[in-house]
Amino acid sequence: MHVITDNLGFLLQGVLVTLELTVLGYVGALVLGTLMAVFRVGPIPPLRVLGTVYVEFFRNIPLLSLLVLVIFGLPDAGVTIGLFASGAICLALSASAFVCEAMRGGINSVSVGQAEAARAIGLSFTQVLRFVILPQAFRTMVQPLVNVFIGVLLSSALAAAVGVPELTNRTEQLNLQYAEAVVCFVFAGVVYLAVALAAGAVGGRLEHRMAIRR
Amino acid sequence: MPLLVSGPRRRRTTVAAGLAAATLLTLSACGSSDDAPSLNGAGAKAGSAYDKIITSAPVADSSDVDASTWASAIKKQGYLKVGGTDSGPLFSIKDLDTGELTGFDAGLSQMLAHYITGKTDVKALTKLTITSVDTRETLLQNKTVDAVFATYSITPERAQKVAFAGPYYQSGDAIMVKKGNDEIKGVADLNGKTVATESNSTAALAVKKYAPKAKILLFKEDAQCVAAVQQGRADAYVLDQGILLGDAQSNNSVTVLGGDPFTVDPYGIGLTKGTDAKAFVNGFLKKIYASGDWAKLYKATIGTVVKGDAPAPPEIGSVPGS
Repeated sequence: MHVITDNLGFLLQGVLVTLELTVLGYVGALVLGTLMAVFRVGPIPPLRVLGTVYVEFFRNIPLLSLLVLVIFGLPDAGVTIGLFASGAICLALSASAFVCEAMRGGINSVSVGQAEAARAIGLSFTQVLRFVILPQAFRTMVQPLVNVFIGVLLSSALAAAVGVPELTNRTEQLNLQYAEAVVCFVFAGVVYLAVALAAGAVGGRLEHRMAIRR
Repeated sequence: MPLLVSGPRRRRTTVAAGLAAATLLTLSACGSSDDAPSLNGAGAKAGSAYDKIITSAPVADSSDVDASTWASAIKKQGYLKVGGTDSGPLFSIKDLDTGELTGFDAGLSQMLAHYITGKTDVKALTKLTITSVDTRETLLQNKTVDAVFATYSITPERAQKVAFAGPYYQSGDAIMVKKGNDEIKGVADLNGKTVATESNSTAALAVKKYAPKAKILLFKEDAQCVAAVQQGRADAYVLDQGILLGDAQSNNSVTVLGGDPFTVDPYGIGLTKGTDAKAFVNGFLKKIYASGDWAKLYKATIGTVVKGDAPAPPEIGSVPGS
């Protein structure tokens, strides 16, 4: 156990980097994913095609391949992005495809009558989405969006392979020195588990609050 | 289907998938340029000359094998379960044409298997389990592998978990920089610089010790570290001299600083603690030291990039932990 206690500061810095990656990646994914979901349900065909291509691309490319492409491929094309930024960008791109689909699923769960009624009283497309569809759709999106958050958290460990000094990377560094793989990785596992459970709990509360009481 | 739009969608999905595939192809084409570091780089090529070095090495007396419970179990099993890698230039790399594992570590494991079993089909002598720094000790403890040959540095911490035969090779870390970089002349110049190294190597510890102000980047693979230096993400790459020389041979945009390595890194054969394997394997090493087969294997692998004759093999049990 002394491996952990002696290097707690070093590991906690790694936890911080993991959390930063996760939050930045997730917020980025929410913004991009919402935009793409709007494109995909919107009335403009070119944007629908763009949204579809985007989702199919980022949902189906493994995150590690994306990381390697951005970190080792782009510099050959003259674009060099820092390691941490690359990690956050790739997480955001990859997760945004899932956010988009979760949103679209939520939007489609609201009955067509709601949209038709809203259009009938003269609301614009944006107003329909903002005031009628999304508030109702959000209810069914909570759990899928929590899933995406946990996915981003766990996928952030892949950034270890490309040199971002987050939790997994630092765990590997410690193991090099102390040869205590089991203890080191149990610690990392517990941290991931704790953050994921906390996210799940927040999601549960949100869902509870938004539930319709009849 | 979206509630705000309607119309036939099947055709669109197909077109979209096609576009996505095309984009992917274009992107992957960007990723592979000619000077990109290749995993199938320097190292001994599999073939009759290499195989002959293995099969001409000594075979143990059957009484020696019978006297060791560890060795007789392997003889009965018919092959050696080896923990290692298939992507380590010079030490253990798979020949993509034949599927045969070659290199200094791979060769030693094959010689040991040949020593115990007496068989001569080099490819069937060993069965490889890919190990990493995170798994080596555990795989030995639970006997998934019989021995680990994986540029495995002997350290007192590791020796508490596993037994080490050897050292069988003594090297040290050297520094690779981009050609034309004349700021870094020695390990002290790494302070304040960004230094890449492999996440499964003790080189990170060496950099911390000799250049505490260096910023360390850990990558999973050798090729990624080389790319990091080529692309300017890292100022230098620190790893075992032999491996760096191998990389520099296949990438002419990088160079390895001359002079002796700045660390001493003894490699040992990892074995399960509490068995009689260590004495047996040490006996095997002494035999191939004396017969000159160790030197032959060195010349055929590491010797292809390190100039000069094979050095004298390190003395068995000469470092703490062995």
